[in-house]
Amino acid sequence: MRQPAMPIRSPFESSIAKPGQGTVVLSLLPPNNPTLTTLTYKYPLKLVPRAPGFIPTPESSALSSSCPSRPVHLYLLTYGGGLLPGDHIEVSIKLEPRTRMVVTTPQGSTKIFKTEPGNANGIKLIKGHRKQMPANQHLADMSQQSLDVRIGRQAALCYLPDPSVPFKNSRYAQVQTFTVDAAAKGDERSSLCVLDWVTQGRTSRGENWNFRFWRGRNEVWATDEKTGKSRLLLRDSVILDDETEDLDISDEDSDEEAGESGLNSHSGRADTPPPQAGLVPLNVIQERTRPHGVVGTLILSGPVFDSLGTYLMHQFNSQPRIGSRNWASSAPSTAPEPSLSTKGDVTWTAARVRAGFVLVKFGAKDFETAKDWLGGLLREEGSIIREFGEEALFCL
Amino acid sequence: MLLDNSQSQHLQSEIAQLEARLLELRAQLDISQYPSPPASHPDQKTAWTIPSDIYKHENIHNNFHSGSGPSSSLHALLLLSDSALPLGSFAYSSGLESYLAHHKPLRANPITSFHRFLKLSIASIASTSLPYVLAGYREPDTLETLDNDLDASTPCIVAQRASIAQGRALIGVWERAFRMSFATPAATDTGAEVAVTAMDDFSDALKSCSDEDNEYDLGPKGHFAPLWGVVCRAMGLDLHQAAYIFVLNHAKAVLSAAVRASVMGPYQAQNILASQTLQDTIMKRIQREWNTEVEQAGQVVPALDLWVGRHELLYSRIFNS
Repeated sequence: MRQPAMPIRSPFESSIAKPGQGTVVLSLLPPNNPTLTTLTYKYPLKLVPRAPGFIPTPESSALSSSCPSRPVHLYLLTYGGGLLPGDHIEVSIKLEPRTRMVVTTPQGSTKIFKTEPGNANGIKLIKGHRKQMPANQHLADMSQQSLDVRIGRQAALCYLPDPSVPFKNSRYAQVQTFTVDAAAKGDERSSLCVLDWVTQGRTSRGENWNFRFWRGRNEVWATDEKTGKSRLLLRDSVILDDETEDLDISDEDSDEEAGESGLNSHSGRADTPPPQAGLVPLNVIQERTRPHGVVGTLILSGPVFDSLGTYLMHQFNSQPRIGSRNWASSAPSTAPEPSLSTKGDVTWTAARVRAGFVLVKFGAKDFETAKDWLGGLLREEGSIIREFGEEALFCL
Repeated sequence: MLLDNSQSQHLQSEIAQLEARLLELRAQLDISQYPSPPASHPDQKTAWTIPSDIYKHENIHNNFHSGSGPSSSLHALLLLSDSALPLGSFAYSSGLESYLAHHKPLRANPITSFHRFLKLSIASIASTSLPYVLAGYREPDTLETLDNDLDASTPCIVAQRASIAQGRALIGVWERAFRMSFATPAATDTGAEVAVTAMDDFSDALKSCSDEDNEYDLGPKGHFAPLWGVVCRAMGLDLHQAAYIFVLNHAKAVLSAAVRASVMGPYQAQNILASQTLQDTIMKRIQREWNTEVEQAGQVVPALDLWVGRHELLYSRIFNS
């Protein structure tokens, strides 16, 4: 039998075969002109670049030695503004030396839709968002997102997205890998600022950490281009798992039924929070995140974010000591005004870990509180706006 | 039928032996309920049978078994589970002190509040560190990579300091005390030899790298969890024992911190330590992480990272973490 000849590749065909994949390469063309030399994506992913509206001046930048290039703004979008079960988003970005990129999510929070096989509620919810209904077995799959960014020397990434909002019964795993140039030293190092946060779900619907699992992993690797050796610099991994899938089959069945009947009983009034919320025992994730409604991590590294890291460390270390007593007789009058970093219901910690990384972890009672707190800190310090423009803080 | 005395004694001892054998087999069955690790590790056979053999009443009249394998492994087990092992574990509360400071109103019922903390703390140590213990045991020659990766995964200075201090203390105990007795060339397990070599190499690497080196030049650190796995391998413990003592020692340290922080009295602490609930919790967590790759290790209790990190903000401190 004769094998068919190699088909002629259509010049219009996307170079990316799998749905949800996207590739971006940002190069610096001479003299100092940042250009997206590659930009491809496939449904349900959409990547939209925006002409840089902000031009940093040499005086405004922390790196006076070299004129920084204009930051390119990339919008990360998915059809429907969220991820359905079985969706697998895979974005790969390469920042060539001395380029700068801002990545935001203009659609608001990343919604993670539920994974409940045969659940009528779930199907109703999905209908409005996607023309194509996923096949039934896909409903059982989890949603995944992976982001892989290679940051060349003197390049900088500023990635401050909206939080992810996992809906009830959803399953989600995300891996974000950032690779920096190991050979670069001092001011030539790659810079990155990455925010990763997750909320308890739709509070308006009474959701309170009711998803199945949410795993978020952020890794920073240093790779030496010449030797090809890689070394893990930082790994931040959060696993929120209600552990119901640990039980053996028989247990799970009964559990499933209990869940179903529970769902049906109040599906008619899904918009109101379930009554007697205080009496229901906490689920595993609620227990482990209590009292927070949102938890998150901010990772900073490299010369561009040095001053921000120092500022955050200073803010953290100047928080009032816990459990201290003011022995002075004039105590109430001399108590300092609560500063931005201590105000509100935000519990946070900052640490200069290793290899110059500053890692901030925070928990807050709700999304608005966390957003105001973090946005406030970043605006007060001001270096992100100076280096990348106001639009870098679009989501905050 | 009339049996003479010696015959009945013989029968009785046979019954006792059979009963002991039955218990042993039952225990083995229990262990096999675990998902088994990769087949390359032939260390699964004896886990919990040793203690049950020793304390079984029927066994008292039996012949004394002086099999060198089990008894030396029991000896090592007791050495490593001793709270007098000079690792300085008493100096760390693993976030308990900070937790108490953050939950002043809850101190109206400190015991309930403490139970919650202990449960969270065990879940967290199992999800973040236990995979490194298991990996250190299974592949002792990857110790340096494991050490680097755990260092990269530890999100705050307070936890990092605690882990490194105890890890280096463990290296000290191994070198000065255990190495002479356990690093014998006659070891039956080739893995034990590899583990001994890994310890030697790691210790050399640690000594040759100066302490005040530059922040960007990342040398070996000496984190506790992978070293624990390697030392357990070198001392002839099996994997279940290594994992169980690791988590149990953590629970002991938290309980002892609770006693010193006046959350509870020493009897109450022993009561919790002895309880079936604690045993079940430990077993459940080990089972859950048994096949977790180190890449998949992560924090399941985000709130704990915040408490541990904010330990530095406490006005007064009695613990180092």
